[in-house]
Amino acid sequence: MRRTLLVVLALPLAVTLSAQYQSSLKDVWVEPGSGAVLPEFDAFDSVDGTLGVLNASGEVNTEGHPFFKALGTNGRACVSCHQPGWGMSVSAAELTQRWHVTSGKDPVFAAFDGSNCPSLPQDQESSHSLLLKRGLFRIPLVWPPRNADGSPKPVEFKIDVVRDPTGCNTSAEYGLKSAQPTISVYRRPRPAANLKYVTSGAQPIVLKTGRLAYLDPDTGRPVSMNLMTDAREPSLRTQAISAILGHEQANVSPARQQLDRIIDFESQVYMSQQAHIFGGPLAVQGGPPGLGVAALRDHKAGVLGDNDRDPVFGLFNTWKGNDYYRSSVARGADIFMFRQFWIRDTAHINSIGLGNPLKRTCATCHNAQMTGQDLSAGWVDVGTTNFPTWTEPSTWAESSELPVFKITCSKDADPHPYLGRVIYTTDPGRALISGKCVDVGSIVMQQLRGLAARAPYFAGGSAKTLREVVDFYDRRFDMKLTDGEKEDLINFLGAL
Amino acid sequence: MRLAFSLGFVLLGPVLIFGQQRSFVTCPIVRDTKTVPCFLAEYEGETYFLGIQQDITSDFHPPQLKHEVLVEGRMAEGPRVCGGIPLKPVAISVLKEVNLACNTLLPAEPGIEAPPAARPAGPSHGPLTLAAPHETFTGIHEFTVLYAFDDDYLEFGGNHVVTEAADYAKRIGASNVKITGYRATSVLSNGSRMVEKAGLAEKRAQDIATLLRGLGVSGISANWKSDAEPGDGSTDALRRRVTILVTP
Repeated sequence: MRRTLLVVLALPLAVTLSAQYQSSLKDVWVEPGSGAVLPEFDAFDSVDGTLGVLNASGEVNTEGHPFFKALGTNGRACVSCHQPGWGMSVSAAELTQRWHVTSGKDPVFAAFDGSNCPSLPQDQESSHSLLLKRGLFRIPLVWPPRNADGSPKPVEFKIDVVRDPTGCNTSAEYGLKSAQPTISVYRRPRPAANLKYVTSGAQPIVLKTGRLAYLDPDTGRPVSMNLMTDAREPSLRTQAISAILGHEQANVSPARQQLDRIIDFESQVYMSQQAHIFGGPLAVQGGPPGLGVAALRDHKAGVLGDNDRDPVFGLFNTWKGNDYYRSSVARGADIFMFRQFWIRDTAHINSIGLGNPLKRTCATCHNAQMTGQDLSAGWVDVGTTNFPTWTEPSTWAESSELPVFKITCSKDADPHPYLGRVIYTTDPGRALISGKCVDVGSIVMQQLRGLAARAPYFAGGSAKTLREVVDFYDRRFDMKLTDGEKEDLINFLGAL
Repeated sequence: MRLAFSLGFVLLGPVLIFGQQRSFVTCPIVRDTKTVPCFLAEYEGETYFLGIQQDITSDFHPPQLKHEVLVEGRMAEGPRVCGGIPLKPVAISVLKEVNLACNTLLPAEPGIEAPPAARPAGPSHGPLTLAAPHETFTGIHEFTVLYAFDDDYLEFGGNHVVTEAADYAKRIGASNVKITGYRATSVLSNGSRMVEKAGLAEKRAQDIATLLRGLGVSGISANWKSDAEPGDGSTDALRRRVTILVTP
């Protein structure tokens, strides 16, 4: 699977592939404890091109490294779900292949969260359908949410399970009415790369809530609150602890030194699309300055890009009028930055003083330079999980495999700004952490890099392709994109 | 929005005595133009211009479709804007409950133009400056945070006021920071009254105290007036507030 295409980088970079790495990774899947050495730069097949992965601090010896070593009881390591070859995330297609290669024995399919529910027969493919079809891991969240001292947070709504195709939310052992009431939602793993961007932009007061941002427990400083789907963990350190105790099912917290090494590794790894099968290398002299991993390594983090002089992913002017592919990417970049449409009924965008509707562009929300996240704490209800705009089938007969919850807001609470006091959702998102009605369906925006390597998309894995992503936005905001414009946007997104 | 009202009242006080007060609840209307959209409202057969789409840093925060809006403003002199009589200063309060009937988006028409906007509908021209310049304070100083009706959400302008108050209190090593929360009554043009919900004054005061503590301010005392401030149909929007009295 490794791509032999030579990738030309704009900046000097060691492109040599470690012979040890190549030989140990004929299948690029990195198994925990494999002892592979990751080169400074590596390239992997992705849809229509090549993904680049850059270790900015030089080659990484994974032997005994806590990111690559199983620290828990189920054989998984961080790398199990954050694979270099898939943009430091993992694709549903690769997981399916992995199932067949290992007969479902790979630790990534651990019963705890690699299956639809631990109570299901684990040797059956159907018990892992959400992971295999959509790349979704089960995220069990206690209900009601807890404060740091373990006390329950006040919540503004009642939650009922309306549909439970996995059986987990109604399970006597794992469900909402179990001894430890738990809600299971199913989410894609986010890339553990380009993290200096994800963790930048912290402000003491969160613009979208008017409340204090979480503090980093180690430094006491405010954090960006852009980590994870629901921003429940404030820092890379707490996220790692949570993941090791949860996803890896460790019985004890990792040692501080192990955490330091995990964070050091995560903080120096960059990934992005590096080449296109027809367009050739993307990071080229005189080309768009934001493409390729070296640009991610070198660019300043925490910069607002929603302006016409220094846009989110830089200017693509030099590719206008170039060959077919590059011209298409440049047109897609212009659509992303400048094509106006009505952004409406989007909680935490329209509802924070900007007005409803808001005549703006994609870059209004996807405004952080180099990643296209939101520079402020970025949870937004764009409608992917809430009825009726959700990305699931809209009728009972065609219902998906995701659970459906009914949220009933108390009369004293502020309702969801556009859906009111009764909301049907496949994932309440941030509301499962904040307990607030206004947050139902709000999901932290994801970075837009390396997309071609890590389908499917959206937190619920509901868009199999970038075309489905673009179709969703076109439908949701009545953008009236032509087929040609959709192709341009897809080429642009695929080049990031 | 509320900052605009505040500045109009504090700095341009005489403006408030010009024109007639209009206070009413209605569905807003959005009028597209070739530049940014205008926000309008109808009351007793007349159309009023509320403002245009701008940025989060603007003093005017537009209303929202799917919600009724409480409009409190004064009819300003001058020509119609976007087809409406301009209200200035104007306070906008988006009412919380969803109202699907509020859904009027009008297309652009020749001859209807929005006033010049500091920011176009797309990206800003050049990098956006999110931080407003800090003023220099001395001695005892009272900061005022204004709110929309029945709301405790701290908008961008209020966020800036709290940050300024915290910076000032820390810089001078304030001996006392007294917070007082209020809720208020709005008297509408038709004579009816709207009273903010009970408990809101305490909620506002406690929220601001939490923010200030989080920003490193000490010596804080939080108080609130449980009874709603009476309305006068003129300056009601200025009574939905929290004051922060910083004493050296």
